[in-house]
Amino acid sequence: MKKYVELDVRPILAAGGEPFGRIMETVASLDPDEGLRLLAPFRPVPLFAALGSKGFTHEDREIGGGDWEVLFTPAPVPAATAAAGDVSAACWPGPLMRLDNRGLTPPEPMVKVLGAAEAMQQGEVMEVLLDREPAFLFPQLAERKHEWRGGFDPDGVTYRLLVRIGTAP
Amino acid sequence: MNGEPLSRWTMAYFAAALLSLLAAEALMAVGYGYPVEGLRAPATLVVVHLSAVGWLSLLMCGALFQFIPVLVNRPLASPGLMLPALLCIIPGLVLLVSGFLVLDSLLDIDAPLLPIGGLLLLTGFATVAASLGLTLVRSRPLAIPSAFVVAGLAGLLVAAALGFVFTQVLGGTLSVPVLTDIAARGVPIHAAAGLGGWLAMCAIGVSYRLFPMFLLAPDAQGSGTRLAFLFAAGAAVTAIAGGLAALFAGWPVPAVILAAAISAAGATVFYGRDVVNFYRARRRRDLELNMKVAALAFLSLALAVVMPGVIAALGRSEAAIAASVYMAIFGWLSGLGLAKLYKIVPFMTWLECYGPVLGRAPTPRVQDLVREARAGPWFLLYFASVWAGTVAMALGSVTGFRVAAAGTFAATAAIVVHLVRARMLCNVDCSLRFPVGSLRPSLLHSLAPGGR
Repeated sequence: MKKYVELDVRPILAAGGEPFGRIMETVASLDPDEGLRLLAPFRPVPLFAALGSKGFTHEDREIGGGDWEVLFTPAPVPAATAAAGDVSAACWPGPLMRLDNRGLTPPEPMVKVLGAAEAMQQGEVMEVLLDREPAFLFPQLAERKHEWRGGFDPDGVTYRLLVRIGTAP
Repeated sequence: MNGEPLSRWTMAYFAAALLSLLAAEALMAVGYGYPVEGLRAPATLVVVHLSAVGWLSLLMCGALFQFIPVLVNRPLASPGLMLPALLCIIPGLVLLVSGFLVLDSLLDIDAPLLPIGGLLLLTGFATVAASLGLTLVRSRPLAIPSAFVVAGLAGLLVAAALGFVFTQVLGGTLSVPVLTDIAARGVPIHAAAGLGGWLAMCAIGVSYRLFPMFLLAPDAQGSGTRLAFLFAAGAAVTAIAGGLAALFAGWPVPAVILAAAISAAGATVFYGRDVVNFYRARRRRDLELNMKVAALAFLSLALAVVMPGVIAALGRSEAAIAASVYMAIFGWLSGLGLAKLYKIVPFMTWLECYGPVLGRAPTPRVQDLVREARAGPWFLLYFASVWAGTVAMALGSVTGFRVAAAGTFAATAAIVVHLVRARMLCNVDCSLRFPVGSLRPSLLHSLAPGGR
């Protein structure tokens, strides 16, 4: 059976804190064969994708009182974002935030990306799935000193955008 | 695209375009030009050029300056040419129209109005074509929508060059026999290049890109789009190259234009099929007003294509052509133009004013800039009066046409008020209108992000 490092974010959240950075630090410190046992006061759905892109599978179960236990296990296969080819192959950190903006009416995708970017720290990366190349978003990202890379997946249908948060004035 | 997201002077192009449209409609309402006067009377030329050059061409230039860089994902080549081009075209149009008014004995000015006007228009439109054409050529290979626009720019150059020749011959500055021959018999080629080559080609090209975007529909697939382009390009080449060849060889030019028109009708069938597919395959079930209204514009195009046969069968071939062209210009192109302005103006304004604070402060939605329920009836009046005017023209009812034109004028004026209100954010709740960091819109000029 695999070894799991336990992280209980319930006290952090109860104190009004933001556990995301702590989770990512813990994940970064894991050995290749180690997993993460996360305890949270809700089902942390955004993490499934964020850690999935880092190569973790997850199993979640409710443990009573509205709390959840999630086991993140390193998967033997490469990360899902490898499908985007060299778009995500650079030395940027794995995305901490994932937005699926497919099917939204413009300019909603742009509003969501810029809103999410405001909640992130410098150097963090967000991955966004879109229906189209967001031509009107790029100048806004440049204005805010964020970097981006993007391209269509091999299916030619989904546009995958990575945004690295910069130092907005 | 790393260039500016907003074209700086597009709003000024739109403003000049809308003023020209209102002027043309007002003149038709008071009975100036066809059908009160002949198809080639100076009065008709005034109305036609206010509509085709002042309204539709400036509208198309303004829209292309905004959307070509977005569609090909490259910055506009020489954006500094946008304003000088406008500053050539507007006085050029004023001089051209004044020259026609002199021919109509309504003005008494002894100056080479037509030759200078023609020169300014050719210079202005060549500048536009250079800036847009260079942007497109640098983005090769061209997708079909971009190919439509490139063909459209070629049509613009031909129309402007022929117009230049006409003004020089009419104004007496050129009297070379070849050019006087072109001026005498080349009018159908000039009209086909301008209306079909330039305006229709670009309207089709732009709609192939914007409609999937606005409707959340997949881009057009399959050979239909390619056939639409081949038929349309075939029509343009037949009308322009074939028309000029006929002119020099002494064949009847109208017969060549008729062959081109048949090819254009074929293009319309394939284009129409793609448009219907965009609406059918859309993932956005609730249509915004601009897309509902655009459907009426496409209906007008279909009517303009089938109408000439019906009216000509009644033995009124001149009325058939005039009514069909009126329906194509005012029902399809102008109706589509007004509908798209009702989308583009609020969107550009929203992006300009609230782009800097998106995600940082509560901002209104794009739809909060417009009042669709109030604008809707004016669009309905617009189409109803254009269709009524077409019927009146086909039946030869001068009074009926003037009444209908008055309705078109009133509807357009109301739509213009709605556009100005959207631009000046009049419909946005006061508490949301100017969050800290947002920009205040100016009526005629757009700012890039960062307030530059």
